Amino acid sequence: MEILQFLFDGLLIAMQPINLLLVTFGGILGTIVGMLPGLGPATGVAVLLPLTFSMSPTGALITMAGVYYGAMFGGSRSSILINTPGDGAALAATFDGYPMAMNGKAESALAISAIASFIGGLISVVFLIVLATPVARFALKFGPAEYFLLMVAALSMTSSMSKGNMLKGFIATMIGLAIATVGIDAQSGISRFTFNILELQSGIDFLVVIIGLYAIGEVFKAYSEINNGKKIQQKKFGKIWITKDEWKRSWPSILRSTPLGFIVGALPGAGGTMASLMAYNNEKQLSKTPENFGKGEIIGLAAPEAANNAASVGALIPMLTLGIPGSGTTAVMMGALLMLGIQPGPLLFTQHPDVAWGLIASMIIGSFILAIVNIPMAGILVRVLSIPPKILYPLVLGLAFVGTYAISNSVIDFYIMIMFGLLGYFMNIAKIPTAPMILAVIVGGTMEQSFRQATKISNGSLEIFWGSPLAISLIAITIIFVGFPMIKKSLSKLFPPKKAVETA
Amino acid sequence: MKFRKALSTMMALTVIGAMTLTGCTGAATSDAASYPKGALEFIAPSGAGGGWDLTIRTVAKVLKDTDLVSVPMPVTNNAGSGGGVNLAYMQTQKGSEKLISVYSPPILLIELNGSSEYGYENTTPLARLITDYGAFAVPKDSEYKSITEVMEALKKDPKSVKIGGNSAAGSMDHIQFLIVAKAAGVENLKEIDYISFQDGTATAQILGGHIDLLTTGLGDIQALVESGDLNALAVTASERVGEGVLAEIPTVKEQGIDVVFENWRGLFGAPEMPEHAIEFWQDTLAKMVETEEWKTEAAKHGWAEAYLGQEDFTEFLKKTNEDYKVILEEIGLLVNN
Repeated sequence: MEILQFLFDGLLIAMQPINLLLVTFGGILGTIVGMLPGLGPATGVAVLLPLTFSMSPTGALITMAGVYYGAMFGGSRSSILINTPGDGAALAATFDGYPMAMNGKAESALAISAIASFIGGLISVVFLIVLATPVARFALKFGPAEYFLLMVAALSMTSSMSKGNMLKGFIATMIGLAIATVGIDAQSGISRFTFNILELQSGIDFLVVIIGLYAIGEVFKAYSEINNGKKIQQKKFGKIWITKDEWKRSWPSILRSTPLGFIVGALPGAGGTMASLMAYNNEKQLSKTPENFGKGEIIGLAAPEAANNAASVGALIPMLTLGIPGSGTTAVMMGALLMLGIQPGPLLFTQHPDVAWGLIASMIIGSFILAIVNIPMAGILVRVLSIPPKILYPLVLGLAFVGTYAISNSVIDFYIMIMFGLLGYFMNIAKIPTAPMILAVIVGGTMEQSFRQATKISNGSLEIFWGSPLAISLIAITIIFVGFPMIKKSLSKLFPPKKAVETA
Repeated sequence: MKFRKALSTMMALTVIGAMTLTGCTGAATSDAASYPKGALEFIAPSGAGGGWDLTIRTVAKVLKDTDLVSVPMPVTNNAGSGGGVNLAYMQTQKGSEKLISVYSPPILLIELNGSSEYGYENTTPLARLITDYGAFAVPKDSEYKSITEVMEALKKDPKSVKIGGNSAAGSMDHIQFLIVAKAAGVENLKEIDYISFQDGTATAQILGGHIDLLTTGLGDIQALVESGDLNALAVTASERVGEGVLAEIPTVKEQGIDVVFENWRGLFGAPEMPEHAIEFWQDTLAKMVETEEWKTEAAKHGWAEAYLGQEDFTEFLKKTNEDYKVILEEIGLLVNN
């Protein structure tokens, strides 16, 4: 009951007009920043940093958290409308969100993504209140060996993203893994594949890869098709809402994806991208009609959207309970708190209950505000689809350059982005899927580093990879991930569907 | 004709003379007197939210609050390659009077370990401001109760204690541990396993007991030591720092290892910074560190004041650079001699 008292006090803080204003401002800013390719929550929060110095710690944290989950709402807008994810966590939203828009169901797509984000975020705040400490303790069980196995599990999902052709999926994965090795190797301190280019020492940012493959790749593709009249412009728009049937199909997947996203988000260093991809994969495996995924299946959009919002709430756990940043965005938020003289850590809830509970309460209120703001905003945004390609794509190109520059103020990134744009175009022609490549870029670095961290700890012995119950469970999960489609196939061969038997 | 020619020559001379007088000398005096004029360029060579970022933003805030500097001091983040990207950028701004950047030991380390071709000699060191200290922590139920026990174990078997930190191999967290280990008489420094983690996750790894000892900044573990989740074995300061729980952490010196490691932070201008700008910052920074505002901020962040003016700072950099060289050479990571 003590928790309810704290929560109530927090709500009083969050309901103060100034804090309501801040969370709305943060949420809208986050939505806009999230929509723009390359500008993710980390950039949004960093831009706010100088402003927060003149705020109270509670106000600062509330605003930044607003930006953070606002970006999770916004990130998928561009995924759905122009096939360009706003940030890594919105990547999975392109798989079925864009096909939905192409099938003339952009309104449903935008609506379900806001609804799934809202539900995912709200339930996760409740999880945060009740489970913060046990989840934080659970996350600590992940040593390098467990991280390695988790990344392997994530990579094994590429099999489900490869749309039929496993070999092409593997080719894409290998390219991605190769890209992930660029930069200074943290374990040895030695530069790899940097060709004496200083900017490459920090590696190739996966956001640059995403913008190149998607935004630039999409522009090249549109350019080659622009005069064939293939691209259809939508002229009439309906209400931003979903049908009863769509809701009936989506809600179970939203409820399944939320806890998954929350836990993956709470692991320092894993994050929203992995959470949303795992949720997508999970739903595809469970689906009775997995062949519809990738063609505009609403579940394929609802699941990752719920998961990435849940992950953004989960990611606050290591910061709030242990003082460990664990992601780029939370690192900036922690920096701001330190600047204001607040030390996040196990004692935060006792030393500064107003800050901690004010934040939690504002996330509840923020979820409602964002849902309310986002639906009408989507009504305006959906009209992007009515912009003629000859105007839309130059705009996309411009945004891609701005977004890329914002990542690390580096001109080298432009060249890298264009290179990946060309690669994306050719991959598209060769029908090699791009998603496995991006996933490999994102997890490849951590996967390799974790492997080497683990073997350093074990003095070279590989036993560490099955040395804990958690490790063994992760191995089991991976086997199920990879093997499930095959098992399902062979089962249906052995036991043909009942109907068939009956009629026979 | 002659007259006109003479007149025009005279006129030309007068004009040139006037230009030299007003233009040249005038510019020199007005430059020095009115410096700084227009916005300055404060740079944190890392992303927002890190130690460098915090330091330079605090400097900008204090300078503004105390009216020591009245022109705008916007802070930009020029991250990449552990500060190397910004060092390269500073080379393109030779002679700039506006550029001020912040650095700490990595400005030396990244040159020595070869990740940057530039080092502190390619900047104008202005002043050392503060220092933080390194700390070594173990989980609360660890078998190690003191830093000497750790060193004894390493002497017997360099593989027996797994050291983790948040910077890359050959960078700060790694080096600060090796400096202490060397002073404690551990011989096979190269054999000691240092495991690098990213995004501050080494702290999670020590809490989970996956590594045996965490080497990091004192500030990074403060909250976890207060809560009792971690046991800090030693701090690398010459005497105990802070108050409360922090003051209970013994120094390595107290435990018989005669060495100090300082994570100092200082300000650096572009190479060939004009003399009048250097003088201005000498004067201004010396004043700043004496203000109440600065002292309050420093106390808030747990920074020890460690002001050194330009000359002493440059001397200090030279000496420290030699110390690091020895360690890097020993572990085979010295690239630029």
